[in-house]
Amino acid sequence: MTEFWNPYVAPGARQRRLLGVGAVLALLLLWSAVAGSGLVSPTKLPAPWHVISAFGYLAWNDGQSMLLTATLWSVGRLLVAGLLVIVVGIPIGIVMGAAPQVNAALSPLVDPFRSAPVVALLPILVMWMGIGEAMKIAFLFIGAVVYLIPMVRDAIQAVPQSYWIGARDLGATPWECIRSAVVPMAMPRIADAVIVAFSVMWTYITVAEYVNAREGLGQLIQNARRFSAWDQVFAGIMVIIALALATYQSMLWLKRRLYPWETEQ
Amino acid sequence: MSAAPPVAPPARTPPVSVVLKDIVQEYPADSGGVTRVIDRVALTFDKPGINMLLGPSGCGKSTMLHMLGGVRPMGVTTPTSGSVLIDGVECHGAHDDAVMVFQRYANRPDLSVFDNVAFPFRLKLWKSRVPAGEWRQRVADMLKAVGLADKAGLRPAQLSGGQNQRVALARALVLRPKILLMDEPFGALDAQTREEMQRLLIDLYQSWPCLVVFVTHDVTEALMLGDRVIVLSTQPARVADDFTVSETRPRSAAWQRSPEAQALEERILNQLHASPGKGQVRVTL
Ligand SMILES: Nc1ncnc2c1ncn2[C@@H]1O[C@H](COP(=O)(O)OP(=O)(O)OP(=O)(O)O)[C@@H](O)[C@H]1O
Ligand SMILES: [Mg+2]
Repeated sequence: MTEFWNPYVAPGARQRRLLGVGAVLALLLLWSAVAGSGLVSPTKLPAPWHVISAFGYLAWNDGQSMLLTATLWSVGRLLVAGLLVIVVGIPIGIVMGAAPQVNAALSPLVDPFRSAPVVALLPILVMWMGIGEAMKIAFLFIGAVVYLIPMVRDAIQAVPQSYWIGARDLGATPWECIRSAVVPMAMPRIADAVIVAFSVMWTYITVAEYVNAREGLGQLIQNARRFSAWDQVFAGIMVIIALALATYQSMLWLKRRLYPWETEQ
Repeated sequence: MSAAPPVAPPARTPPVSVVLKDIVQEYPADSGGVTRVIDRVALTFDKPGINMLLGPSGCGKSTMLHMLGGVRPMGVTTPTSGSVLIDGVECHGAHDDAVMVFQRYANRPDLSVFDNVAFPFRLKLWKSRVPAGEWRQRVADMLKAVGLADKAGLRPAQLSGGQNQRVALARALVLRPKILLMDEPFGALDAQTREEMQRLLIDLYQSWPCLVVFVTHDVTEALMLGDRVIVLSTQPARVADDFTVSETRPRSAAWQRSPEAQALEERILNQLHASPGKGQVRVTL
């Protein structure tokens, strides 16, 4: 047993897993107890077993899987918006980080959005773009890109100057220093920014699909809520959490594969 | 231990000249005025050779070295007055024919040893100077010369400090530069590794005799390596002494104990002690 009040010693892998699983089980137990005791009405808190059966219903019913269709739609929107975030946001962040004048000009336009209520933009987007796919993609894009751009900029600025000087000394033009020395050194942190962007988009997906979605996980939850099918609402939320977690873990794994040197130094 | 013999045939280095004309360097001082760091230094390097720039720490050695075609510290004009001529042309900032080896090896952690040494060939400048077919061979030969041929695929984090400095040295010399600037390149290494690196430098120099300007505050290092030793005084730096050492390299430990070497060491230490100051020099042994 390691010391309790010591933030510098991590528990072993087994102990960590045990504690993590234990906490989840404890919560499930508490939830079951509260729901089973009848203290809270099932219309307010569905029991875990009801959620599981609702999940089964959504996963397969009447020869089709509502869950799969909804998931594919949501994932599709996320991928399109994510691609846009990467293609547009990363270059802007790099230029802002690499050229202080550009940063001075653009950061007052970008930085405030990090604390702005992006959700409040939704009606404006609806007004501008209608209620179709473009609006949903645009909403996800804006929600994520305002996080990504400052993170990419910071990643560039965090690269030690010695790499810039080293390249410059070898005869690199300033732009070559950025492209061949600074950006490659910033890549792990840029990858972190992409991971955060995808996490943010998962949190916004329900909002994006709030308005006039015919398909999607957000719509599925919205629809279930309308019929007070709280077990389905819970199931839908859990699917989103699971997908977000899977996205995060697999992107993290990919990042570690791509940039193994980051942790070596 | 001796490094594998360099594969490239002894090449003829192009002629080179570097002239410092009445260099003065001042920096804004905390008090509001200016501090003169370098005071009217005039030096001429007109042939290949290993030139040791010796002085107490903080006297302005790095500042002076950067003026010889290195990348200069940002935000200040260097030199404050005077001029630097490389091959007769006034030089401001980085020069294509001068390559620097830093004390803290500037190796890229994301690239393999091979790619670190090959890095310059990704740049327009060296792409235009070295044909595509040639640089791979050059890099491979260079890795052999510094004894890292079997480590080509490793990353810098997987190498020791000395091996990392070999990578830095290889990356500089693979370019066959006219001018090699070295800023206390072996200062961070332990005594034994430092000696190994000094021997390696001598070997490499023999196959590519260029104009080396080597900054150190180690008197022994200066005497073991230098064709010429330039002693700088404490701040503001002036040329306190400037002499040649004719003993052939590699210089033996016996030579180091010879009256001649002892006299030179005495001479340097007297110079340094004559200039009152806070700086320190080191004598290894
Ligand atoms: N950009 C700068 N602004 C102000 N002062 C500076 C600047 N760069 C260097 N100096 C000062 O100039 C003096 C010489 O610095 P320099 O780095 O050239 O010394 P050095 O001889 O290389 O020292 P060391 O042996 O420690 O490497 C120091 O006192 C330093 O504080
Ligand atoms: Mg220095």
